[in-house]
Amino acid sequence: MKIIYETLWWAAFLVCGIAFQTLVPKVDVLTGGVIILLQERNYKNLCWLLPACILLQEGMGTREFGAAILWYAAVIIFFKAGRWLFEAQNFLFVFLLSTCLGATSYALHWLLAPLQDIAFDTQNAVNASLLQAILLPCVWGILVTTRHWNKHVQEL
Amino acid sequence: MTLRRFLLLAGLLLILFLGMYSWNQQTRLLDDLTTKLGLEATGAVLSPLDSLMGQGKELWYKYVDLVNVREENIHLKQQIEILKDRLLAHAEDLAELKRLRELVQLPEVTGWKLLGARVLAGRMGPNAVLDSITINRGYVTGGRPGTPLRTHQGLVGRILKASAHSAIALLLTDPGSHIAVITQESRAPGILVGRGMNRQLEVNFVRRDTKVTSGEILVTSGLDGKYPKGIPVARIVHAAPSDYTQFMAITAEPLVDLQHIEEVLLLEPTGLASYMMNQNDAPLDFVGPPPPRTITP
Repeated sequence: MKIIYETLWWAAFLVCGIAFQTLVPKVDVLTGGVIILLQERNYKNLCWLLPACILLQEGMGTREFGAAILWYAAVIIFFKAGRWLFEAQNFLFVFLLSTCLGATSYALHWLLAPLQDIAFDTQNAVNASLLQAILLPCVWGILVTTRHWNKHVQEL
Repeated sequence: MTLRRFLLLAGLLLILFLGMYSWNQQTRLLDDLTTKLGLEATGAVLSPLDSLMGQGKELWYKYVDLVNVREENIHLKQQIEILKDRLLAHAEDLAELKRLRELVQLPEVTGWKLLGARVLAGRMGPNAVLDSITINRGYVTGGRPGTPLRTHQGLVGRILKASAHSAIALLLTDPGSHIAVITQESRAPGILVGRGMNRQLEVNFVRRDTKVTSGEILVTSGLDGKYPKGIPVARIVHAAPSDYTQFMAITAEPLVDLQHIEEVLLLEPTGLASYMMNQNDAPLDFVGPPPPRTITP
């Protein structure tokens, strides 16, 4: 039964994530799912979700290939470093993580714009980074509340 | 893990990433793969959602939101009458144009097929750095990269990348968009460049001595080979001799409201062209110079 719940939940997550990204541009909602899997130490599911997220984000974007790899690598590195220092299951940790990821988003804009010969717009980059930093904890909160059957895993 | 090992690993991963990045820039293999899989999956998710939303809207507008429909109908009927009058007046001009074209044997290129497409989304995700829209036609269904997009009001842009059934189109407001245009009345050529969404467009390389006025319409000149000639693109907002260059400083605004488009028309090149010929001549199929005349001794 749990497998069915999991499959349906992840399918709904991807569909809702893509739909949400059409409403709020410049934001990566799928990162919320990656953080959930890292918190649950569910590396089996991470093996398919991470490539799926990279494919989707690169496919729907207009950057050259590579930005999504750097982004998700930063998510994993910051998460691992954060878990080494803090308790990784609470809102405060996710808030700190999202702040770091907001800065990473700005850094990626700055780094990749000249590589693709695009003008770097500071205001746009700041807006996108702030939006990412603010929305990620909210998305994480919604995702955690909808995964009630997995509560015992999160509490580990 | 010691610091030295960590730094070594990080350096190795960075080199691997840079290697992959430059390899992809040369071959575009990874870009193609993500477009074919990622964009296709996105389109597959968004198309049913869009269709569902469309049905909901249709239900609302057709059966619920019917306030002032009678008044609107009367107004539209009046407009039809006015337009019929205008059509009648232009019919004579059109006939004259046809006769004159035939007289000077001017080839009329009609090698573009119109295909309707629905806009699925605007910019999506953190990697959507260019002003773009996603449409529900891909390279299998007529939306190949480079295909121009327009609405009944004017030009929208052209397709940047496409999967089998979805495509991303670059809007004319993007700074990477350069379109060869010509002013409708003074026939002054120039290059229309985008400066980002919510900012006015810029027309470069228009000669100083041309008499360009505000309000004049810019149409595609077709000289860039990307767009067919004669599509309305933008309206000139301000035109004055530049203080810094030897050209005019012209700003313009797009004719299409690019933030609220729901449907677009794709101009698919058919490779066909029709020429003004005698009705008895066999039709020409492919674009190219007209056949040589028969030399009579």
